[in-house]
Formats: sequence, C-alpha cells, structure tokens
Amino acid sequence: MSKVILVVDDSATLRMSVEMTLSPAGYEVVHARHGQEGLERLQELKSQDKLPAMIISDINMPVMDGITFIKEVKKGPFRYLPILVLTTEREDSKKLEGKKAGAAGWLVKPFKPETLLAVVRKFTRSLS
Amino acid sequence: MDDKLLGIFAEEAREILDTLERGLLDLEGSEDPERINEVFRAAHTMKGNAGIVGFSDVVDLTHLMEGILDEMRQGRLKPDAEVVGLLLTAVDALKVLVEGRLAGESPEPPREVLDALAARLAQQGAEAGAAPTPPAQSPTPGAEEPASGGQVNRFHLRLRFAEGLFATGTDPLQLFLELEELGTIEKVVCHDEDLPPFSELQPDRLYLWWEVWLSTSESLGTVDNVFIFVQDDSQIDITPLEPEEPAAPSAPAEPASAPKQQEPAPAEPAAPRPAPAAAAAPPAAPPQPPAPAPAKPAPPPAPKPAARKSSPAFQPAATIRVDTEKLDKLVNLVGELVIGVARVNQLAEREEGAEDTELASAVEALEHISRDLQEQVMRVRMIPVEGTFNRFKRVVRDLASELGKKIRLEMSGTETELDKNVIEQIADPLKHLIRNSADHGLETPEERRAAGKDETGTIWLRAYQQEGKIIIEVADDGRGIDLNRVFAKAVERGLVAPDAQLSDSEILAFMFQPGFSTAEKVTEVSGRGVGLDVVRQNIEALRGSVEVETKMGQGTVFRIKLPLTLAIIDGMTVRVGEEVITIPLLSILESIRPRPEDIQRVEGSGELISVRGEFLPLVRLYEIFELPTERSDPTEGLVVIIESVSKRFGVLVDDILGEQQAVIKSLEQNYHKIEGIAGATILGDGTVSLILDIHGLEKLAFGG
Repeated sequence: MSKVILVVDDSATLRMSVEMTLSPAGYEVVHARHGQEGLERLQELKSQDKLPAMIISDINMPVMDGITFIKEVKKGPFRYLPILVLTTEREDSKKLEGKKAGAAGWLVKPFKPETLLAVVRKFTRSLS
Repeated sequence: MDDKLLGIFAEEAREILDTLERGLLDLEGSEDPERINEVFRAAHTMKGNAGIVGFSDVVDLTHLMEGILDEMRQGRLKPDAEVVGLLLTAVDALKVLVEGRLAGESPEPPREVLDALAARLAQQGAEAGAAPTPPAQSPTPGAEEPASGGQVNRFHLRLRFAEGLFATGTDPLQLFLELEELGTIEKVVCHDEDLPPFSELQPDRLYLWWEVWLSTSESLGTVDNVFIFVQDDSQIDITPLEPEEPAAPSAPAEPASAPKQQEPAPAEPAAPRPAPAAAAAPPAAPPQPPAPAPAKPAPPPAPKPAARKSSPAFQPAATIRVDTEKLDKLVNLVGELVIGVARVNQLAEREEGAEDTELASAVEALEHISRDLQEQVMRVRMIPVEGTFNRFKRVVRDLASELGKKIRLEMSGTETELDKNVIEQIADPLKHLIRNSADHGLETPEERRAAGKDETGTIWLRAYQQEGKIIIEVADDGRGIDLNRVFAKAVERGLVAPDAQLSDSEILAFMFQPGFSTAEKVTEVSGRGVGLDVVRQNIEALRGSVEVETKMGQGTVFRIKLPLTLAIIDGMTVRVGEEVITIPLLSILESIRPRPEDIQRVEGSGELISVRGEFLPLVRLYEIFELPTERSDPTEGLVVIIESVSKRFGVLVDDILGEQQAVIKSLEQNYHKIEGIAGATILGDGTVSLILDIHGLEKLAFGG
C-alpha cells in the first residue's frame, strides 16, 4: 500500500515536481491548488479510507493561504498529520507563524529532490 | 529535463503570462489589493516554476518583477501608468524568454528590461532607505553561521518531549539540527533511565530525554522558538548559564552505549562525564569547555556535524534510457549463454572423475554467474505500472467530457512491477476495460443522483500481487451488470439453452464471447467493434486470465491475473528445519521472540500469541508444510508477524536469515501448484527457496 501525500500549492509545476520526486519512491501524491481544496481533499481521502501520511503545503496561495490551512487542519481530526511547509518564504517571523499554526517542518523553495525525499521519509516512517 | 514536467510548466506559464497581462491592464489606476496580490502571486509562481525547470534567466526577470509588485503590495508604490507600462514590457520580454526556452533555444537575456526594472527597484529602495534584496539563491539551511561579534550566550536545555512526540510527526533529531543552526552545541547528554525492558518497549514511544548545552549569539527567545510546536506537551526548560559554568548533567546519565542498568541512577551529582554517543549529538565537546571571554565569538564550531552524517545519505537513482531493442537482444543473448554453459557443463561431466577436476569447479562457477546474469537482465526489464496507469488519467478525463459524466479515477499499487513486454501489451486491454466502465458501467450524474449515489462516479485502477500473480483490477461503482440480460442475450445467440442452470460467473463468462454485447446502443466510446473477447484474447496471450464480479446497482470489477514468472519481490529469508523459505517483505510487520507467557492456547481459536497486549493467531510453519524441525517451541524460534489483507497473524519459523530480492519462478510451470507457495527463487548460493504465498497460507491455516 503506497503512502498518500497531500500536496497543496497553487503551482501545478511545483506539484508535479514534488510528485516526480516522491512517486518513484512509492508515494502517491494527491494535489490541491489551495488550502480550501486541501481541506476538501482530506475529507475525500478520509471517506475513501485513504488517510495521507503527511501534508506538504505552500504558504502564499489564493482562496485559502497556507497558515490558515494549517490552522484548520490542526483543529480537526487530521491534526496528527505532520505538515511540511514548502515555500519561498524564509523570514523567521513567517516560520514562527507557521510553527505556531502547527507546521512540523519548513523547507525553502527551490527544493533539492533528495532533501525533500529525505524529509518526507522522516515524516512518514511508519509508526504502527 | 523531464518532458512531462516541461509540458506542465509550459501550460502553466502561458496561463500565468495571461494573468499577468490581464491583471496589469486592470491594475492601472486601481489599487485593489486583491488584484495586486493576484498579479504578485502570478509573478511569484512563475519565478518558482522557472526555478524548478532550471530557466535561470526567467527567474532573474520574474524576481525583479516580483520585487516591484511587492512594493505595490506593501502600498509603497502606486501602480501608475509608468510602472505598469514597465511591467507590461517585462511581461512581453518574459513571453519571448519563456517561449524561446520552451523551444529549446537560449534566448538573449532582455538586458534593457532587466536594467530598467532593477533601476526602478533601486529607486524605490533608495526612497524607502532599504537596499533591494538580492535574488534568492537556493539556500543551504544551516550553512549560515550565526552573526558573530555579539554577546555569546550559553544555555542549558532540559528537553523532555512528550512520550507521543512521534505521533505528531516530529523527530527530535530535527530539533537538535535546528539548535545546531543557532550556534554550537557544546554537549548533549541522553537520558535513557526511563527505557523499559525491551519486551515492553513500544517502538512508537519516546522514552529518552536530553540535556543540551548550547552557546549561541542568539537570545533566549530565539532558542525557545525552536520548540514552539512541541511546547504544549513537552517539558522544555531553558536556563541561561554564566559563561564559565561547566556543562554538567543534572542527573548522572549512563552513556547510551553502555549496558543498560536497571536500578535508577544515584541521586548525588557525579563528575561530568564525556557526552555519550547519542544519535543526535555532534562529537562531544570536552566536559569542561574553556570559558570563552565575553567579547570573543562562540567556541569554534565543532567539526561539522556528525549528526548530519548519521542520517542515511540519500542517493538519487541514476538512470539511463536504453533502447528496448538492445535490451531484448541482451535478454536473448543471455538466454543463449545459459544454454551454452549448460552444454559445457554436460561435456565436463563426461570427463573422468569429473567432480574433482578444476574444470568442473570452473564450469560450476560459470554456471552461477550466468544464472545471476540472466536474473539481473530479466530484472532490468521490470518496470512499475505507474507510467501506464498515469496515461489513463487523461483517457478518463476525455471520456468524462465525451460522455457527459463525472468520473474520478483512483489508482493504487502503481509501484507494482511487471515485465516491460507485459506492460506494453496490457495497456490496450486496460484502456478497453476503462472505456467499458466509463461508458456502460457508470451512470449519468442524473441517474446517479436518482439512485442516491454521489454524482461523480469512481473508476478504480489497482495493481497488486496475490497468490503468486500480479492482479490488475478495473473497478467502478456504477450500475453493475444485469445478469438476466446477459443470460437472455446468450440464449438469443444460441450459446446456451433457455432452461440451463448457470452460476453467476458462468453467465458473466458469456460477455467474453466474440461479438457479445448487451449495450442497447453503440456509442462512440466503446462501440468500436472490439469487444471483451479481444480483451480476453490479449490477456490470455500473456498467459493471464480475466474475470468479472458485479453487483447490481453497486458496480463491477474486472480482474486481470497475470503470471508472476518474472515478478520480483523483496523477501525475508527464514529457515524452517532444512528448508529456506522466502516471505514477501511487504507482508511483514515485525519479528519477535515470544516469552513463554505470551503463548496461549484458546479453545476454538487455536494457538494465540500476545504481541504487546494484542492476541494474534500463531501459525507453525513447520506444521503447515510438514517440515521436520528441532525448534517446535515458539520461545526458541522466532515469530514473524504478518499482515494480510484480512488479518494479522504470527508465523513461527526457526530462524531469520536475512533480506533478499527474489525473482519468482513459477512452480506450476516446472512442477505443479502447491497451496501456500507462490513460487520458488534461487538464492545467491544456488539453493532453492520457496516463496510463501500469504493468501494461500492463510487459507491453509485458517480455512476459508
């Protein structure tokens, strides 16, 4: 059973490059274009009994930005999912905001495939 | 650069260019923040995307545009005709650049535009009294040393993270790495006093806690910030230290490498010890670090972190593309080689006293090598079904719009590997089945709503291994197949007598008869004169089979079974008596040596084994396969915990030998089918190992 990872980013190119990094390693990548869609995807995945192993989210997105998205996720039944922020933002204040919202990690774009994969592996190591 | 990625980049780039142009035109004279934000985001996304595909000239240009747009966003710059005009020129230049790059050319950088943008930005910066930011470069996190020259602070951190820390996806190592970015970790002490006895240890719990001595130019607040997201459930104490205060553990800790002692550590303070080799710790600093003079920067950074090295270095898979024709030739040649070696072997055996001769041993070695070679070459031909599956995303999207239906495609098991030839030949039948599901299986949104279903129908494409076969399923949650209609049609065509008593599967089998179709009208999509009979023929040509399962109103599953003769599994080799058996690694959860009290015999349930409080059925492999063994006592052997589709159970084996990739050879072909065995594989040393079929074993052990 491959592990599902939800990628929330408004750039299709970014989402595809994440998918191309992760899918050869056996991860299944589910796309969402912004936070709102990310929340919808989570519900869908749950109804299919296919909970993701983690979430990768951008910060600056239309409709619902990353910080709001993380806060929303951390309020609900998906709060145990680790959320990695993948963004061009590198200001400490932003990081702090993300961490306070509940992000578990922060990676600055552009990412190196091997770094992303290593981080994702770390976050998705099976616990049970 | 990957074509797929470039394709998406191109598509998105054109959209973004559109948004930029349109947005900028609207922007002039208006100060709608949402508008400005939209345009900013477009430039920002373009910059990011260009970075991903490596178009650095596009990055440079969009970086400057983004800078100006950011000024607007911050309200420091009005979008007047002049600025908007400048940005529109930049968009034109961007178009030329992007299209040129996509056409594979290296267009001239638009010097004038770049200069004009940079000048405008510099002017803005001068007005605001701030320098424009240099283009973002790929940062190496942690590469920057903290600003030196300031006050050096020393902190003593006591980090007792929540026991369930791992459950939130946090790894303490990451926190240590982050601490290290702030300055120099002088010393780490790992406390393992709380570690329970091994048998009670829960691998997903955190039993360790740490003390860290950190010297940094950062403030207490910054250090504290590292732990922001674990603070709630953890005990984090950070105490500022005097510069001279030595780093001494508050309670003496046994170095992690030393044997675990049961009694609690003595309470009286002991002399500082060298830091234990905790996984997360950089090389230990001397127990008494020289007190740095206040004005001096922090002690020289410890030789750059061993901690980084301790995480397994990722090796990106290096690949090359090979012409499949070359590959096929290679496979054929290797086949010839194996036959040739076998002949040489026969000839050598005719020699007098062949067993002892050097010739015999040389030939034997040659045989080994050629067999390995054959295996490896076969392995090269295995590719995941993912590529083929992904192509169907597009097919389904097109079908949905063609048919006016809402269809979602769900895929699983895309990593399942199949021989390249099989994959090529399976694509057409799969496409046919998907069309079939979309056209005949799924209802229209109106029909679905009327039936109380989700308007969007789902087609599942699944691949997995079972019972020594590769299974590919095309399933839908549509209307299902009307057996009565299939039967009526079969009668009409004279395939069966009207009063025949047939099982459901016998009736469904008619659908694979040539020219058999129950569709009332031929549609553009699947009515192309190619029926399920062709699907069956194609699959049977691959020595596979296809079957259908259906439930009225709930959906249909087409299940293709393909032989596994070439399939590769990752296996764990175990010993039972004299036999070496390979267990598919995917099915294994863990292995344990049970204590006597963990084994219980329960009336009606057979033997059970307790694994951390949970009772699982215990299967004695030697009993199942009637293998003589000395180790019939579970507390002397090992129990491999296996998870199948339907249940978890323990399998008793004598010993675990190791992990190995195995090329499955069918037993049916060379011998005959054995229940519970998926096939055989030849191990590196030439011995034959039987591969366990988890599903079959389950049947043998639990019936059903």
